[in-house]
Amino acid sequence: MADSEIAIGIDLGTSYSCVSILEKGKPTVIPNEWGERTHASVVSFLDDGTVLVGNSAKRNIITNADNTVYSAKRLIGRFYFSDEVKKAQAVMPYKIVEGENNSVRIQIRENIYSLPEISALVLKEMKSIVENYLGHEVKKAVVTVPAYFNDNQRQATKDAGRIAGLDVMRILNEPTAAALAYGFGKDIAQRIAVYDLGGGTFDVSVLEIGKDVFEVLSTAGDTYLGGDDFDDRIMTWLAEDFLKKNGIDLRLNKYCLQMLKEASERAKIDVGRDSVARISVEGICQDPAGKVMDLTATLTEVEFNRMVMDLVQRTFKVCDEALQGARMTANELDAVILVGGPTRLPIVRTSVKHYFGRDVMAGIDPDEVVAAGASIQATSLLDSKGEHYLLDVTPLTLRVGTVGGYTDKVIDKNTPIPIERSKSYTTNRDGQERVKIKVYQGESNKAAECELLGEFEFSGFRIAYRGEVRIEVTFEIDTNGIVNVTAADVETGQKTSCTIRLSSGLTDDMIKAAQEKNASTQLARGEAA
Amino acid sequence: MDEGFEIEAQALAQILDELDYFQILKVSQNASPDEIKAAYYRESRAYHPDRFFQLPDCELKTTVGRIYKRINEASLCLRDGARRLKYLTDVSGPDRARRLRFVEASEQELKKDKEQEIGTTPQGRKFFMAGMQDLAALRFAAAERNFKMAITYEPANPNYKAKRDEAAKLVKSDFVVR
Repeated sequence: MADSEIAIGIDLGTSYSCVSILEKGKPTVIPNEWGERTHASVVSFLDDGTVLVGNSAKRNIITNADNTVYSAKRLIGRFYFSDEVKKAQAVMPYKIVEGENNSVRIQIRENIYSLPEISALVLKEMKSIVENYLGHEVKKAVVTVPAYFNDNQRQATKDAGRIAGLDVMRILNEPTAAALAYGFGKDIAQRIAVYDLGGGTFDVSVLEIGKDVFEVLSTAGDTYLGGDDFDDRIMTWLAEDFLKKNGIDLRLNKYCLQMLKEASERAKIDVGRDSVARISVEGICQDPAGKVMDLTATLTEVEFNRMVMDLVQRTFKVCDEALQGARMTANELDAVILVGGPTRLPIVRTSVKHYFGRDVMAGIDPDEVVAAGASIQATSLLDSKGEHYLLDVTPLTLRVGTVGGYTDKVIDKNTPIPIERSKSYTTNRDGQERVKIKVYQGESNKAAECELLGEFEFSGFRIAYRGEVRIEVTFEIDTNGIVNVTAADVETGQKTSCTIRLSSGLTDDMIKAAQEKNASTQLARGEAA
Repeated sequence: MDEGFEIEAQALAQILDELDYFQILKVSQNASPDEIKAAYYRESRAYHPDRFFQLPDCELKTTVGRIYKRINEASLCLRDGARRLKYLTDVSGPDRARRLRFVEASEQELKKDKEQEIGTTPQGRKFFMAGMQDLAALRFAAAERNFKMAITYEPANPNYKAKRDEAAKLVKSDFVVR
């Protein structure tokens, strides 16, 4: 019993994932059989029906491009018509297709996968890494998401956990997890900012840490900004240069594009570490005469900084917003913590130092700290001793649709969760049987500029003349940041019966089917990178 | 979980809808911001749902969840100077029972208030606006007539009645323009 009662913490990243458990009171990142501590969030469907996940799978982005999915987190919980999906379709070598209710699906050969199913395979790999290490099964987990994720994205991540056969005890915000790992067992009283620049998302949270309390004062973010965008800049630079010299646009071929992308990512890391990157890709394409061509270039730090400066500046607009939300100025902070691979870049570190007017906290591994925090929370939920408390907030304003394409606020952003708020509605037709409510998240009063969470339809209340029936609709945001909506007839207190949720999410039946598919999928073992 | 806590939680849940935010956080109405924060942390320690995470779904778990949501609601209101001020006025007034849960006036409600003022029917509004012009031009008798006409369209509009009374009073007062 005691042995199986282990709960794992999983940082499910856009580019890389990481898994941790609490061992003898200390968070410990679990490496795979080759000692790798972080694992590319890449899922490669092999010809023999097995699935390869992690750093070995990453090589298949080029060699098995059609059947290898990466950056799934950019698509999870999004609608098919969203800009992010359109953008991904242009650059991803795998096939992105439309599912029911405007959902996004991935087609691999003849099989159709939902995004939670893809992420579930990454989670399955994380789970099996721990099981290999411990020698027994694990079931319970805390999975992290960017703080700025909306309800659809959180829900989809939770579904991914269920499909992978995990009991997801909590969906935890990445910056909150990092703060927890930082302050855990330290007995400090500080106000800190967590600057979390990941592969595909950017978050910043301002927290107050007390003896046993971790209170998030505000959070802000941009789910369209991350290390991938830095790679894109290098890619554009390389491609333009190649086009000018050779008259061939490498971006028109998805195979060349992947080689270019890989070279750009490596160049970014090299330039960050060595101040200069020598880029060399042999045989990137053939010219019209059939001659094989190579790509060579040298990227200096000055050049690189010039390319990405506007991206770095964009993060500080988000920081301004977070500080404003916490009603603080940068000099009132006691510490700044950097999270995410791209924060290793000198341009990011010096700019952050400059913006906050202080040195960033040393000794924190930006790749592992989120998973570490998740494992602390996972264990704390398991033993319920309540040695510390996380007081988190909702990142986005919850809204309901009103007439004329407008919305009305229900719950403000940065409101502590869990929370609930009720609103009353009346019927506007005689004999009306249903009331329909559209729920949104976002900061604009125009519905079109917000994210639609779903359309809720309530029925089962009294049938009466217009205006006679009052229905109280209760909006709840739970500790996972997930929205629940219920309704009751005010006069009779009768809870209305059916709550239909129309969104791109998965139904219970779909999840059950996906669970079986996931469980029967064999994870291929690759080789050391 | 000890029995004393369970009894206390159930008792608190019973009267939750009769308590104001100060009572929920167990602070006085003139508590300092620091005292309110300390109270919020103290109550979080007692009622945070994570403490009860491993309980099977049961009445206590639901109860604690309900209480904690209200604690967050109280903290959200009382830790903001402007909201706290408005809330204090709300719960100190005669309408206390209905104002225990702070609600910010929504954009729509503000519009509704405005509508209430000038009227909701086109004819009512027309006569009301004419009356307001008469009033401004010191034609009190004409104003009174227009307000009376407006009332025939919207008999329940309190603002119309107030203006009619005001005009009637001015008519009687032999108001002299200097």
